[in-house]
Amino acid sequence: MNEAWRFFLIFFGAAIVSNILLIRFIGLCPFFGVSSSLETSIGMSLSVIFVMTMASSVSWIAWNLVLEPLGVGEFLYIPAFILIIASLVQFVEMVIKKTSPPLYRAMGIYLPLITTNCAVFAAATESVKPGFFTKLNIAYQYGFLEAVVYSVGIAVGFSLVLIFFAAIRERLEDAPIPRFFRGVPIAFITAALFSLAFMGFAGMFNL
Amino acid sequence: MEERKTLWGELKKGILDSNPLLVLMVGLCSPLAISTRVENCIFMGLAVIFVITCSNVIISLLRKFIPDQVRIPIYIVVIASFVTIVDLTLKTLPAIYERLGVWIPLIVVNCMILARAEGYASRNEVKYAAVDGLGIGLGYTMVLLVMSVIRELFGTGKIVLFDTTVIDLKVRSAPIILIMFPGAFLTFALLSALLQWYQLRRKRFKGGES
Repeated sequence: MNEAWRFFLIFFGAAIVSNILLIRFIGLCPFFGVSSSLETSIGMSLSVIFVMTMASSVSWIAWNLVLEPLGVGEFLYIPAFILIIASLVQFVEMVIKKTSPPLYRAMGIYLPLITTNCAVFAAATESVKPGFFTKLNIAYQYGFLEAVVYSVGIAVGFSLVLIFFAAIRERLEDAPIPRFFRGVPIAFITAALFSLAFMGFAGMFNL
Repeated sequence: MEERKTLWGELKKGILDSNPLLVLMVGLCSPLAISTRVENCIFMGLAVIFVITCSNVIISLLRKFIPDQVRIPIYIVVIASFVTIVDLTLKTLPAIYERLGVWIPLIVVNCMILARAEGYASRNEVKYAAVDGLGIGLGYTMVLLVMSVIRELFGTGKIVLFDTTVIDLKVRSAPIILIMFPGAFLTFALLSALLQWYQLRRKRFKGGES
């Protein structure tokens, strides 16, 4: 298997085949929270792509250079990764606040909550422990580049679904649906149909 | 509104009016993933009730000492300690841990618990914080149980609790889609539609069509 093809498989597997939102149910709070308008969901996607890639790279370095050589990885990875993510989020928040106040207001509570976005945490954990959340038995460790590609894949999969979903939800606003299905319920039914579609990719390949 | 709060009212609020899953829409990940079996949900519910109540109490006790700038990391450390307790305790039950294991560390990053710490426990007295945590935890567990009963019963045709079959519908082929990924979204959609229908009805009875 040549190098480029393997990277493609890792990317595609992370983004589509085991999509973090629809197949693995991780990171759903921001998904339903910010997906009601296209603009905020694009902002959210960009910051998630950035935070997730950075967090996974830094976590990978922290795991392989600090935690693992010291033999404390198993006990300390949760607080260590959370701290890494929290500081990155703080940074992104400052940048957005300075560069785009409307976007900052629109994303409101969800920006600090990227810290507690389990998707970011899961991506960071999986880049050092492949298959931890997917429950796949992956025997080898990702190298640095692979870990980065993997986390970008997860982030792109997240953004893709988030943006598609936001576009659909904007249209649903005007759709004639029963009153008690308005808002949350119809969003979830849409997600169910999405998930059904993504199940078509299941088992295409595992890596 | 602030003056007239009672312990019972706070408890009920968490279960119904601001149910974390159906109304506030926080902490959705684990319920959707693990509600394929009732058994999982009992343990997950207990774990969450424990973590949220304890962390609410501790944070409420410390609310006057926590500097505002570093409050989020402190909350997370408090929550993470209780999650670690749960994690180590559940390890004594290998069969359950096998299925729930990956979701326990994710309780740390469950926005529901952090949101309660930030939005409630840091501003209220200890007893209210404790009751609020309990209420939110119970609300979470209830939704979890309802979802898992629906999904396990109709998705597999029977409910198995601790290796004994409690209910058996004796169907030849169950709609397995319910215990697969889309089923989670679908069940949740129907539950929240039900809640919305109930609220609309109640509003209409109280007069004043909105």
